[in-house]
Amino acid sequence: MNLRVPLCKGRVSISCGDVGHVGTIWNSEIDLISSTPMEGLERHIRSWFASEKAAEIEHVISALSSGECSLLDIVKALGEYLTSEEDTLRTKGVQFLSLVIEGYPKEKLNRQAVHVLATFYCTKLEDTETITPALRGLSHLVKCPALASSDVPDLLSAMFTHVKMRALVQTTRFFVFNTIDSLLKSHSDDLKAMGDQFVAGYAALASGEKDPRNLTVAFAIARVILTEFDISKHVEDYFDITFCYFPITFRPPPNDPYGISADDLKSSLLPCLSATPAFGRLGVPLFLEKLTAGSPVTKRDTLRAMSLCLPVYGPSVAREFGPKLWSALKLEIFQPVDPATDKASLDTLQVFVRVLQSNPIVTDEGQSNDMDDLVRTVCVDCLEAIGEPEKPQAKAGMKILCSFLTIAQDLSSYAVAQAADKLVTIFHDPMEVSNRPSVITLLTDLLNSLAPPEDPPTPDKPVVTESGSTPLLQDLLAPSKDAVLGLLIVGLKAPTTRVPSLHGLAALIRIPSAVTKDELGYIVLEVSEFVGKEPDEAEDVTSDVLSLLSSIAILAPQHLASQVLPPLFLALPDRAPLRDAHSQRTEYWRALSSLSQLCAHPELFETFVIRLTTKLDLLRSPLPTTLANPPPADIPDAKEMEPAAAYAHAILTALANTLSAKVSKSRPDADVPKYINTLLPHLFRLCLEAAVANDERVFADIRLLRVVARIIRLVIEASPTASQNKFFSGLDSAYLGGQVKSITGGEFAFLSEEFKPMDAGASTRQRNTVLLYAAAHVPMKRDVSLDAIRLSRRLADLITWCSSDNCTPSQREAASHVLASLVNKRADDIPEFLDYLLDNYWSNVVYNRTISVGDRRNAVALWASITRALLVRSHPSAMVLTDKLFILIDDGDDVGWEAAHALGMLATRDEVLTKRNHAILKILYAQKYLDAVLPRILEAAQAVTGSRREAAYLVALASVLNAVPKALYLSQMPKLMPLLIRGLGLEDPALRVDIINILTNTVDAASDEKSSLTTYASALVLVMLKNSMVAEMPDSRVRIAALKYLALLPGVIRYDILHPYKVQVLKDLGKVLDDPRRAVRKEAVDARTKWYRYTG
Amino acid sequence: MNEIFNANPTIYTKSKRSLRKSPFETGQSLWVDDIEQQDWSDASNVEPIDQDEVFDLIRSIADPEHPNSLEELRVVSAEQIDIGNNLITVEFTPTVPHCGMSTLIGLSIRVRLMRCLPPRFKVDIRVKPGSHQSELAVNKQLNDKERVAAALENPALLETLEKCLATAGSQE
Repeated sequence: MNLRVPLCKGRVSISCGDVGHVGTIWNSEIDLISSTPMEGLERHIRSWFASEKAAEIEHVISALSSGECSLLDIVKALGEYLTSEEDTLRTKGVQFLSLVIEGYPKEKLNRQAVHVLATFYCTKLEDTETITPALRGLSHLVKCPALASSDVPDLLSAMFTHVKMRALVQTTRFFVFNTIDSLLKSHSDDLKAMGDQFVAGYAALASGEKDPRNLTVAFAIARVILTEFDISKHVEDYFDITFCYFPITFRPPPNDPYGISADDLKSSLLPCLSATPAFGRLGVPLFLEKLTAGSPVTKRDTLRAMSLCLPVYGPSVAREFGPKLWSALKLEIFQPVDPATDKASLDTLQVFVRVLQSNPIVTDEGQSNDMDDLVRTVCVDCLEAIGEPEKPQAKAGMKILCSFLTIAQDLSSYAVAQAADKLVTIFHDPMEVSNRPSVITLLTDLLNSLAPPEDPPTPDKPVVTESGSTPLLQDLLAPSKDAVLGLLIVGLKAPTTRVPSLHGLAALIRIPSAVTKDELGYIVLEVSEFVGKEPDEAEDVTSDVLSLLSSIAILAPQHLASQVLPPLFLALPDRAPLRDAHSQRTEYWRALSSLSQLCAHPELFETFVIRLTTKLDLLRSPLPTTLANPPPADIPDAKEMEPAAAYAHAILTALANTLSAKVSKSRPDADVPKYINTLLPHLFRLCLEAAVANDERVFADIRLLRVVARIIRLVIEASPTASQNKFFSGLDSAYLGGQVKSITGGEFAFLSEEFKPMDAGASTRQRNTVLLYAAAHVPMKRDVSLDAIRLSRRLADLITWCSSDNCTPSQREAASHVLASLVNKRADDIPEFLDYLLDNYWSNVVYNRTISVGDRRNAVALWASITRALLVRSHPSAMVLTDKLFILIDDGDDVGWEAAHALGMLATRDEVLTKRNHAILKILYAQKYLDAVLPRILEAAQAVTGSRREAAYLVALASVLNAVPKALYLSQMPKLMPLLIRGLGLEDPALRVDIINILTNTVDAASDEKSSLTTYASALVLVMLKNSMVAEMPDSRVRIAALKYLALLPGVIRYDILHPYKVQVLKDLGKVLDDPRRAVRKEAVDARTKWYRYTG
Repeated sequence: MNEIFNANPTIYTKSKRSLRKSPFETGQSLWVDDIEQQDWSDASNVEPIDQDEVFDLIRSIADPEHPNSLEELRVVSAEQIDIGNNLITVEFTPTVPHCGMSTLIGLSIRVRLMRCLPPRFKVDIRVKPGSHQSELAVNKQLNDKERVAAALENPALLETLEKCLATAGSQE
């Protein structure tokens, strides 16, 4: 006690005595002292001692910063407290000073002040009452740039001497670590100069730390010391304060306020473990022990640590523990616990081998290549495992060898050659015939690892150059390639090895330039015999054969063109098989689907298109029309036409499938756009001629028009704006101007009537061709030039065209696609059209109760698709049009329910307005929409009146919620639940499906809010059971949805709540098992199985 | 369960697609993708329970000895199922003639079908003639109501059964 007083006074006197040579800053502060009233300062201090309010500290700091008082003043004012005999006062005194230092800008403290304060704090470390605030002060003081190097050793030795970590609480220890951390950053050289004193001192200080917050800092410190300081005398100490935490099993407490996860600790500990080679001999045994004894998580942590550490520990350590390491890793890989551990072990082994191979030791001089002895042992062990190809260990062994391929040239050539030789030998061993499939599978693994991981090489992207290792890898196979290829071809002959061989060949051709063009031709020849086979004989190989051949098609299309395609084209008859010739139909479809898959390559696709359009031309008229035998006068009826139409449909479908594959690639094929000038006019001619013919034509069939429409969409999607401009001007003059030849490539046989599909009196066949017109508009680019002035007129005409009495649903759908696409892409060009909608169309049709309900329903549907087109681009008119739908619902109108469903449709994703179709889509439009309409709907739906209006609002609610992501309304579920359950009582199957879907979607997300679900669980069980009975609910979609929901409940509701219903549910579901629909029965089986397993 | 009756069974590939054929493949339709707009409430279009459907119910039951399904081991197949008027006969083939697991496999098929078929069906389960050394005993045991009921009272047996059935219905 006595000691402290003079020391403290000494400190003050030193600072005063030093004034003379410290400099102007201190001088100016001294000047201020005389002019500053000390009373204010003292008042703040007194008040803080009483209240401990942060505001008092801030006052003092701001006074200090503004120069109203100086540090010296504060020390003076604190004087009596700093030296008080009373423990609490002393603690608080130091605490006050530390808090001021903490808040005071560090750069303003000068060297002298820092020195004085540091010395002062060091003395305070001896006092158990003041050690905490003193450490706090120090932890901030050391951040001052003015801290002198000479202060550091004193400060640290004071800390090492007086700070007993075990006696301090976590926050105080945290100050210690922070102090050292700051010093390491700013005064690393001074610490190094302290040498062992610091290194040993810190090790003693850090030992035994347990708190995760402190450890994060401690690990960072340890990492720096281990890498930058000489710890040779204290390796064991540092090993103890780092490795004792490994593996980290810390699990943060629930609601952890500090947010330190086990992963944070792991990632800060790992750099310590791998910081120095000196840990090698101590660390590896520990790792091995953890690896053998640990849980899967520990195993993975250990493996990860080893992968990082082994390269640092170096080859001599790796070799010293080599056999043990290998046997431990071998166990993990050959008998894997789980895939993740397996993968981690493989990575570690790879690192291990890399380390050994970086400095190989070769004892046996006879070996030609310089492989490390230990690595050779590893390889030999793996090869031995491969020697028994039917065992799972063989696969693991192969996996190991494959992972070595990138390590070193000598190693990989040895591994590949040995493994291939071994497999080829086993394959040809007559005793091992039964193991041939496994041999080929192993070989395929090897080939796959030799092939580059990305997509198969394309001719325009040559095989080499990518990375240094690629050319190297392909050379590895060169010595054994012939044997391997021969083996795979032999494998094709037997049914059991056929599929593996096909996979092997697929892997082989992926290896850059491994096989020559001639060899590819040989492969094609051998494989092609399985292409046309009956599926009964070779059912499982067809898809593998086709995928192999289509990858060869990319490398060498000519082989396919000459060997595979001709027989397939021959399998396509010129005339459609008769109605009862089922097997011929299956045959042509098999040929078509094979062709469709094989002909994606531009060269082959061209042939494909030509051959198929020729077939289509032949099918144009249903009966053979030779000049000698003119067709009979009575035109064949539609029934005779059907087989021909079905055949044409199959051909077009094959074409569309190939196009779709070509266009949907991440880099669409460049040859597709040219078909806008060839294929499309041809198809238009076929369809439009059929539409104006006076007899029944194959191409008038609406099913054919649908596929042609699909082809048109795909080709337009791929075409650039320039060709689209040309195409659309032709299309418009054909459909709107009657110049039909402008879209059919100049050729057209007028058979009877003019082509005027948009006329009011047009025939259904002509009107159907609008499907093609619409298909072209859907993917139209935004910048295609259209007559902007007449656009509004055109759209209005289209609406009138739809309201014609003979408009079919497909025609109406097509028209709505055109409207949606054009309105979305050209909303700014059509103000007149929007006016027309809101005035004329609204009052004359949509809101006109004198016209038939059916017409108005259709009008609402059109209205909705136009509104959606505006909504997705956040056009201001969208909400005006939406409001009109609310008017229909509010009025309890006949079309109120349609309007309600339309509200949901507005937020539903569709196939027309997509990015791929170049529609204008604003982000978050659905959220904005929901924010605008949901409150209105909720409010109206909650008013229980039983009226039509209220029911319509329930419909709107269900369809809107069903259309938007559940996150948007999940929080409101407790409020929505009663409404939804009420909605399940309404007689509208679509509504019920919507509601059950909403309940299904929210059932798993409701885990936090299970209470709301629990309340209604029993009601839900009963209502779902009712909805799953065919007698009660004729609509199978509702039954399926209800059963799916029932199947979910056992997973989310506590058993005791639903226990009373189990018997009834099982009994009722037993009846549902006899449902007439297979899809319903399937769900019933699933639900019933779940309920059987549902127990307490 | 200590003795493994067949330590190294042959594993066959599962048929990749669903066995059910499209109307085009069965010759009912001329059109390759005949997806007509269905009338969801149409009651006339009844799809009766058939071989494939029953096979779908049992194909993915796990073998008690191996981590494979009965289909992969070719213990059951669609051809070995016969459907008559309210009578279903399921035949199964043990992987080896001395397989002590046969009754357990049969029992798991029976329990699965008990839970998944409408109660109007009578189900007969038999081992394929000549495929098991105690064929008669196994058949007798599997089709004796009392003995099946008694087996299901045994908690240890039921637990093993549930393990086999846990994978049933899963479509990988």
